[in-house]
Amino acid sequence: MAQGKDSPDTYVLQVRDNTRRYVQDLLRENERLNEVTISLEGERLDLERQLLDTQSKLDTQVNNRSKLQEKVAAIETENRRFIEQYAEIEKQNADLANLYVASYRLHSTLDRQEVVSVIEEIIINLIGSEELAILERKPESTWSTVGAFGVDAERLEQLVSEIEAGRGAISKAIAAGERFVASSENQDDLAAPEAGLTACVPLMLDGEVTGVIAVFRLLGQKQGLEDIDLQLFDLLASHAATALYSSRDRTESTDSPGVR
Amino acid sequence: MGNKKILVVDDSKVASMTTCMILSSRYECVTAENGEIGVEKASSEKPDLILMDVVMPIMDGFEACQKIRMQAETNGIPIIMVTTRGGAIDVESGYESGCNDYVTKPIDKVELLTKIESLIS
Repeated sequence: MAQGKDSPDTYVLQVRDNTRRYVQDLLRENERLNEVTISLEGERLDLERQLLDTQSKLDTQVNNRSKLQEKVAAIETENRRFIEQYAEIEKQNADLANLYVASYRLHSTLDRQEVVSVIEEIIINLIGSEELAILERKPESTWSTVGAFGVDAERLEQLVSEIEAGRGAISKAIAAGERFVASSENQDDLAAPEAGLTACVPLMLDGEVTGVIAVFRLLGQKQGLEDIDLQLFDLLASHAATALYSSRDRTESTDSPGVR
Repeated sequence: MGNKKILVVDDSKVASMTTCMILSSRYECVTAENGEIGVEKASSEKPDLILMDVVMPIMDGFEACQKIRMQAETNGIPIIMVTTRGGAIDVESGYESGCNDYVTKPIDKVELLTKIESLIS
């Protein structure tokens, strides 16, 4: 028998060679896959570390945001407080301006009629009433009207009579030397000619009552007396008394014989 | 550019002085003691706005407002009536005479400044 290419020995050798090459390929592939696995494992560990790091940063940011929100809320509360304070200060400024103007105008003239006009203007424009009477005590405890707005002559005469007789809320205020302010409790006790009386302010000079201002119905748009109105009443109680007295004193002195 | 100018027309010095004190920190203030002088000063002073009282001697606020509206050089000036008369009829009369807005006395500072700012700006 002749030995050719396709002899069993050759075939076995070929198979052996192929198998060897195949195994070597497999070993190389296995090595490669091992390297890839190691690399991927490394990447996974890196990504895990990055994830933890990012989570930590996120937690910090959430915490910061929460703190900032609390800060914003606190600032908004403070801002609201400042706005309320500013509004309060603006009101105080406006009230002080009213008091300053009232005082300034009362003492800016020695003309009696002008003093009376100023008192009327204060009550009409600053307090808000167009019904008022200004009465002054004369010698022997008689009373007379020195100024009025929105109150007719008949009612003024009745008021004077009531005061001279010691009757009514105005008389009581004069006797006590204290202002009277009408309220829901005492309003019904006010009879004519005092019906509708909102307040009366005795004018005080050296502890003596020299006159009285009676304020009746408030203007329709005025809801009621406010703190500034009571402060204006206090100012009128002393400054209007002084202004009226000074103007009377000047009138009498200029009327005296021998005085130019 | 200076502050805007406001003409206060009121026969009461108490009222005009108080109003000017309210305005002084933001506006220049000029005054007139009756409607007739108010119409003259509207032409001569060229204010940016007029605060007009109603009840005044010689010429009342309604008539002064009408006259200001009839003059070419002043008919564009905004006018706010400032008065004790807050009734519906008086308010209507104010608007019919040509005013832009209405404020009642005693004056509320915030209300007045808000209305002025809305008309001037």
